[in-house]
Amino acid sequence: MTVAEQASSSCAEIAFRDTTKQYETRSQPAVDHLSFEIPPGEICVLIGPSGCGKTTALKLVNRLINLTSGDITIDGRSIQDLELTQLRRGIGYVFQQIGLFPHMTIQDNIGTVPRLLGWSKQEIRTRAGELLELVGLEPGTDLSRYPGEFSGGQQQRIGVARAMAVDPQIMLMDEPFGAIDPITRDRLQDDFLRLHREARKTIIFVTHDIDEAIKMGDRIAIMRDGHLLQWGTADEILAHPVDEFVANFVGADRGLKRLRVRTLRDLHLEPLGPGERAGETSVPITTSLLDVLSLMLSEGRDVLTVYDKDESHPIGTVRLEAITATLSPDATVISA
Amino acid sequence: MSAWPPIAAGGVVIPKFGKPSECVVQNHQFCAGWFIDHFSSRFLTPLLVHIELTAIAVGVGLPIAFAAALISRRYHWFERGFSLFAAFLYTFPALAFFELMVQVTGINKFTAEIALVSYTQLILFVNILTGLRAVPPDALEAARAMGLTHRQTLLRVELPLALPPIMAGIRIATVTIISLATVAAYIGAGGLGSLIFDAIGTGFKTEFIAAGGLAVVLALVADGGLVLLQRTLTPWTRRSVVR
Repeated sequence: MTVAEQASSSCAEIAFRDTTKQYETRSQPAVDHLSFEIPPGEICVLIGPSGCGKTTALKLVNRLINLTSGDITIDGRSIQDLELTQLRRGIGYVFQQIGLFPHMTIQDNIGTVPRLLGWSKQEIRTRAGELLELVGLEPGTDLSRYPGEFSGGQQQRIGVARAMAVDPQIMLMDEPFGAIDPITRDRLQDDFLRLHREARKTIIFVTHDIDEAIKMGDRIAIMRDGHLLQWGTADEILAHPVDEFVANFVGADRGLKRLRVRTLRDLHLEPLGPGERAGETSVPITTSLLDVLSLMLSEGRDVLTVYDKDESHPIGTVRLEAITATLSPDATVISA
Repeated sequence: MSAWPPIAAGGVVIPKFGKPSECVVQNHQFCAGWFIDHFSSRFLTPLLVHIELTAIAVGVGLPIAFAAALISRRYHWFERGFSLFAAFLYTFPALAFFELMVQVTGINKFTAEIALVSYTQLILFVNILTGLRAVPPDALEAARAMGLTHRQTLLRVELPLALPPIMAGIRIATVTIISLATVAAYIGAGGLGSLIFDAIGTGFKTEFIAAGGLAVVLALVADGGLVLLQRTLTPWTRRSVVR
């Protein structure tokens, strides 16, 4: 399922156009003629090894770092033409160190940008409460607490809430879950994707974790030494890595990773025969192909009954061969 | 100042304080009754003057040190220059400094304040600068990314976060100035020091101990008050869980 169809008109398109950042003290540009377009409402993941320029590229967008040449446009307008504070106030920024203000209550933290924009105290309170609930915290008690009273995972939830305070069209996320333990990170990722489905924003997401990139990204940009090596959906990159470096980077298990990003929705199911009873082992249509495969292997079956997403009606069956067939690089995804 | 150096005490009669009690006549270490009777007539005004001297010195010293700290963040040469200057002032012997200033501005409160303000600078400057530099860089990055201007960042983020070290500096400066201001009476600044100088001249022990004791109590109360103020201004420092 691509995102464009759900993108509301309030989302912005971000375009990098030959964007280059050259530090005077270095011979190689940190970001070298980067060009790509992020459709409104999509999550674009920038990924690559340390020093590949992904964080620099991200910070060029809200001009935390100024670009040297080329341009970045938001809905066709150059970021150079926008007033700096206005540009930044309209872009949510989440980063690994979170950067909550320790001396402000959660309400005041979330209310920082709204206050600059002249919201009333009551409006800020209401909005902060909404956002806390959205990120899974307790508005009743937590609004008047200080950041130091929360765990790292909770602080990052608050950081996300703060970045969304004025409902920006764009969010920049620089390894937002990088410093958080794997279990909490997984929950934060799931919650964030849920949030994103409810309120589409155009998001640039930097990570060095390929699994996170595959999970979060509608599109993935693989970078190295300031260059863009490959740009595409997770499935495209896993199926057709452009070179040895990308192939190594996405991992030898890229076939299995492709199965993880696809669900039964992406397969042609075989219809249930007339009067055919559903087998004992059944799976909902939202299951990832990797989970289906693993279930087949562990149960020793090569056919399973597929139910609709409410798990109330059987709608077809899936065979082991159908799954292994998708592993061929040229197999296309039907819904794409 | 005619009574300098102090004359040894013993059987001194002190005519200007009216009918003396037995304790006063004997010049015991401390005559509480006399102190209580004469507090409002003899001690209250010098005490208030002493508070005024201190408040002005710290009140004027703080914005100067703050401005110097802000300039130092931008220009490194200024930091070196100002620290040297402030350290030089701080290490200058108090009496000599007062005497020197008298040559320039005469015997008055103004002269005393110039000297007292000078003594606050090293402490306040170093603490303000340390405080501003200790502001977590991630909070600054967040402020920048949220589109706060330099001024908004300073007032809403840096200053509050630098408050604990700044308040520590104000406490040290205040207590130091309360003590140093007693010496300023030497150049006619008034305050508790004038009573101490008087008592040294006359050898009246009760007055000496009362004036000195009041300076100590004033220092303790001021320090306690500033601690309370700091606690009120920095509620977040006491509300963190250890992670």
